[in-house]
Order: sequence, then structure tokens, then C-alpha cells
Amino acid sequence: MKQLVSGNEAIFQGAIRAGATYFAGYPITPASEILQQAAARAEEDPGFRFLQAEDEIAAAIATISASLAGAKSFTATSGPGFSLMQEALGWGHAVEAPCIFFNSMRVGPSTGMPTQPAQSDLLQIKGGSAGDYYPIAFYPNSVEESFRLMVTAFNAAEESLSPVIVLADALLSHLYEMADLDAIEVVVAPRTREPLGRGKRLFTGTAHDRMGNVKTNDPEAYRDWLNDLKERHLQVADKYPLFEYFPGKDPDTLLIAFGITSRIVAPLKERFSIFRPIRIYPVLEKELEKVTQPYRHIIVIEGNDGQYASWAECAISRKVMKVPCLGGGFKLKWIQSQIEERLKGR
Amino acid sequence: MIDRSYKELLKLKRFPHTWCPGCGIGAVLKNVAISLRELGWNDRNTTVVSGIGCSGRMAGYMNLDAVHTPHGRALTAAEAIKTVRPDLNVVVLSGDGDLGAIGGNHLLHTSRRNPNITVFCNDNEIYGLTGGQAGPTTPKGTKTITSPRGEIFQPLRLGRILTTQAPYFYARTTVYHLNHFKACIREALFWKGFSFVDIISDCIELNGRRLGFKTAHQMFKWFDERFHIVEGVRDHLKDDELGIAKREVEAEVKAEMEVEKEPKVLIEGLKLFTLEELKHFDGTDGKPIYIGYKGKVYDISTSPLFQGEKRMRCHIAGKDLTRDIEIAPHGEDLVYHFPMVGKLKVKAEAEK
Repeated sequence: MKQLVSGNEAIFQGAIRAGATYFAGYPITPASEILQQAAARAEEDPGFRFLQAEDEIAAAIATISASLAGAKSFTATSGPGFSLMQEALGWGHAVEAPCIFFNSMRVGPSTGMPTQPAQSDLLQIKGGSAGDYYPIAFYPNSVEESFRLMVTAFNAAEESLSPVIVLADALLSHLYEMADLDAIEVVVAPRTREPLGRGKRLFTGTAHDRMGNVKTNDPEAYRDWLNDLKERHLQVADKYPLFEYFPGKDPDTLLIAFGITSRIVAPLKERFSIFRPIRIYPVLEKELEKVTQPYRHIIVIEGNDGQYASWAECAISRKVMKVPCLGGGFKLKWIQSQIEERLKGR
Repeated sequence: MIDRSYKELLKLKRFPHTWCPGCGIGAVLKNVAISLRELGWNDRNTTVVSGIGCSGRMAGYMNLDAVHTPHGRALTAAEAIKTVRPDLNVVVLSGDGDLGAIGGNHLLHTSRRNPNITVFCNDNEIYGLTGGQAGPTTPKGTKTITSPRGEIFQPLRLGRILTTQAPYFYARTTVYHLNHFKACIREALFWKGFSFVDIISDCIELNGRRLGFKTAHQMFKWFDERFHIVEGVRDHLKDDELGIAKREVEAEVKAEMEVEKEPKVLIEGLKLFTLEELKHFDGTDGKPIYIGYKGKVYDISTSPLFQGEKRMRCHIAGKDLTRDIEIAPHGEDLVYHFPMVGKLKVKAEAEK
């Protein structure tokens, strides 16, 4: 039966459908509703455990540790909390723990505008923790898709043995839409790693070889291990080349938008072509190259000052134009006027 | 025949280990392994978790599923593992810097939530792995490479922090008092709830040598001088006591009036010292250091300025220093920081 569901509810229900049994979090607008749902769930389902941690650092560490212990686990936060979780994100890649980090973005930096939506944590997916790691990240744009992508993210986490990031923005988190979540059919991947207490393994953030032996002065062993990790992550990412593409009347201009901005610019799809990346990281290089080829003008419309635009430029080796919607200001009219301005005289 | 079956719990293939000769961590690792073996804990029912630092390497040498967390996060990880897998015994092996400084917030809150885990803290009062910087538990006055004139702040007293909210289990022991050490490990493993063993350990290479010790054994003797074992179960331990403080339920909070009365009763029962008797307590041969001030006797053994010496500039231990302190550049407040242990007989008589 269709009913009104919010983005945060769909995210939580998606995790439950994927088999999640552990949640750790810390209250933060606009992701607190997920923590509240987890608390309620823990009350009625003894198989579901939750921790309201003392900070996001603890929440993220608990999520990864619970995953090592054998639970499908996830955490939810917003930008400032995601900054605190960066340490754990790096650790999660080092110990190869499948779990989900959900980040509902708000205007930053720092505390910023807690109730206003933004899309400004893209660089934090990849660049926040020390060293090289290859995270996979998805970005839905509707309530129903939040549910689906949460399951997909859990599957990708199990396959890649790493933390997978699901992004949303404050607007999507609090957006209510009609959806029938029970009717959605999904495929759920099983657990791939043996839980703790089944061997003599060492899960360490220190550099180690494939067997888990600490190797702090061995470049060969490190390269072997990191290349393995990279290859596996990119392979799994290739399984989910998710995007949407609507060709429009204007043969010269392509708009790139994702998340809530793609919903806001949707009325322009009669006129302009629109490309919406769903797997936000690793960047859809092949797909972007193919789609953008016939267009003279590429305009990236996003809730930050050109974070995805810089990735897109790298991917297609071409200049793109930017329409940064800053400070939570997502207004179609304003975006439209900005597009006109950029196209003027070209 | 000595039972060496505990070696099954150690990854001997990875030996020789990374620690310096004379380090106390070896004793911690071995005795924990012995106790786990005695209890029949093995790789099917036990997980060890550790943080970062010299002591953080302990988990890697245990022949069990081990989790080596980022710096300071061992307690949170252990709590989450215990939550998901209540059937596993979870043991945390870490150090004072990891648990007390960077993981201080987690220490407060994990102990508050009281998960059934056991924490062994190798408390060597220094950051050893990074070269001997002052740590949270470094005693005031200790010279380290980041406190060249002596540590200026009070140390973090884990024992006081961890015994504020019942239920709690806090044991303090040293690697030198071996039988006491083993007993504490066993008691802690049996405790249902959050148990914390503060193991005073030596770091001879990066702390001891700078303090003037030549061998680890000299540091052990120093532990013997600084601490003494107290028998029986206590509610709290003093800073120089080794023992177990535990409590299962919160004591009723006393009314404020009652609390105020207490010190008066204490003063009544104070011992009377003559000036002759006072002379005896001058800090030599491990005796405490007492001084007289305005008719009262104070125990200033914990003063970093007096430690191990008979005198500090013009102040002489075991004497009535009323006049000295009145003309000293510092005020009398300094004296009141120390515990009062008695009254001076001369003054007491003169008052009558």
C-alpha cells in the first residue's frame, strides 16, 4: 500500500531490508530521525542492536567493529559528523569491513546552516582520511530510490569488503513522497566474511600483507595489498554504473545534476539534456565521456562550489561550466537565469 | 614441571617481538595469556582489541581473532563487538595514552554504559612508541622530552575517574608485584561488567633512563617504594595503593550536612607528633616526608619538589616550617594541598 514516507525513513527501511542488525549514531540534524528509528526498532526487535554513541568518532568505529563482529551495520550523520568519521572511514578500508555510512549533507563548512540542504561533502567521500582508498558512493534523488540504493549499497559493501557511502541532502532526508516500500523487490547479498571468533586473524589499520601480518617496512607487500584493494573496489563499482540520461531539444547543452538539484532542474528537460550520475564515486568516467561527446556546453548544477564539476573535468578532459547553488538556495528560476547567463553569446 | 600451555595463545612465529628489552609489556602479555588459558578462553570464544602505541601491538601477538583499532578507539570497538556477539569474551589490551588521552571520552562513556568487557591498561606513564613524550598519567615534575623542566600539570588519575559511578571495577597493580598482578587479572576477568586493570609498567628505554634508572629492575624497586598493596575490597584506592576497588550498586548519596561534619571527626583523631618524632619522617629509606606548619603536620611525600630528597632549597623535611613558609615567596596555600596527618605536640601544648 502506498503511503507517505520520508527520505530518512526510506533509508532506514532500506537498511533493514538489506539485513542490517546494528546501528550506531549520534544526534545531528538532518540525520537524527534515523537514530530515533533505530532506537524504536531495537525496542521491538531483540535481534537489532543500536548504540547512541558519545560522538561520531565512536559511532563510526562501533559501526565498523560491529561489522567485523558479524553484523550488517550502518551509521548516519551529516557533514560535521562525517568529518569526525573520516578516521574510521580510513580504518574501515584498511580492515576491509563492509558497512554503510549515510551522510545527509547540510551547508558547511563547520556547523554552517544545519537545516539548509547542500551537496558539499563530495570531496569528503574520497579525500578526508589519510592515504589512498577507493570508496564507492551512491546519491539517490527520491524517497523510493533511497530505499533501493541503500540495499544496493549494502550489496556493494559486501562484495567490495569496504565501507560504502550513501549521500543525501537535508532536503531529500525530510522530503515526504508516496511510496510502497514493501512492494519493492530487491536482491540482498549474503554476508561474505566470517565473523570474529572463527580464526586467528588480525584486523589492523597498520600496513599488512594479505594474510594480516603487520608489514610496516615492506613496500612490496603494501603495493600488493593496495592494488588488490583498488582492483576489487573498481570491479565492484563497475557492477553498478548507475546514471540517468534524458536527451533534450537543445543539441548543444548538457546539464549535469544529481540528488535534489536534479529534481529541481527536471522541468528543464524539455529543452536541455540532463545527465544524472547516481554512482557519484568512483566518477562514471566512461559513461560521462560517451554522453558528453556531442555537446558543446556542459553545465554542472550542484549545491557546492564546483566539487563534481572538477571531477567531471578530470574525467572528460574538458572545461565545464558551473552553477553553484550555495547556502541552501535551490530555486529553479535563479538556476535558469544562471544557465542563460552562461550560454549568452556562445 | 611448569605449565607452558599459555604459549598456544601467543603467535610465537611472529617473535622476536617489537618491544625493547626490559619493557613491562612482555609481562602483561604473558600473564594475561596465562590467565586466559586457565579460564579456557581460546580462539573460538575470545577476541582481543587494542589501540595504538607500544601496548597496542599486544593484540597482534595474541593467537586469537584480534582487532587493532585507530588511536584511542579500542573501547568503542570492544563495546560494539560485545554488543553484537555477547557470546564472545572481549579483552582490551592497551596503554595509558591510548585509553586516557586520545580515548578519554570513550573511557568515560564506555565505562558508563558498563559493557561486559575487561580492559588491561599498560600504564607506563609515558608515550613510549613516539620517543618518550609526557603522557596523561606522567607524574607532575617528571622530565620528559616534551616537559624539559618537569611536567607542570597534575596527572590524570584513572582510579579516581573510574570509581565515580557504580557499578565499577578498578584494580591497580604493577608488573613488579607479580602475584598481586595475577590476582587482579583473574578478578577482572571474572567481573561481570566493565572492569579496568591499571597495570603500572616500566618503560626503561624512553622514560626510565631519563629519570636516572640504569635497569628495568631499578624501576621495579622504584614501584615498590612508590606503591604498597592493600588487602581486601575497597571502594576507592589512594594514589599510592595497589589493590581492587569495586562496587556493584551506587551508594546512597549522603545529605550535605553529614558530609560537612566528616572532616571535623577526622581532625579529632589525628596523631600528636613531637618535634623529635617529626624529625624521623624525612623521606629517607622510603619513609614518608612530613613537615610541620602552624601546629599541624602535613604529608608532602607526593610533592615533586621534595621527591627522593631530604631538602628542597631552604625547606628541610621533618621540621616545623612555619617560619620558613611565612618568608617563602609562595603562599601557605601550597601546604594545604597536601593531606594533614597529625598535630604538632609543642604547639598543641602551648595553645592550652
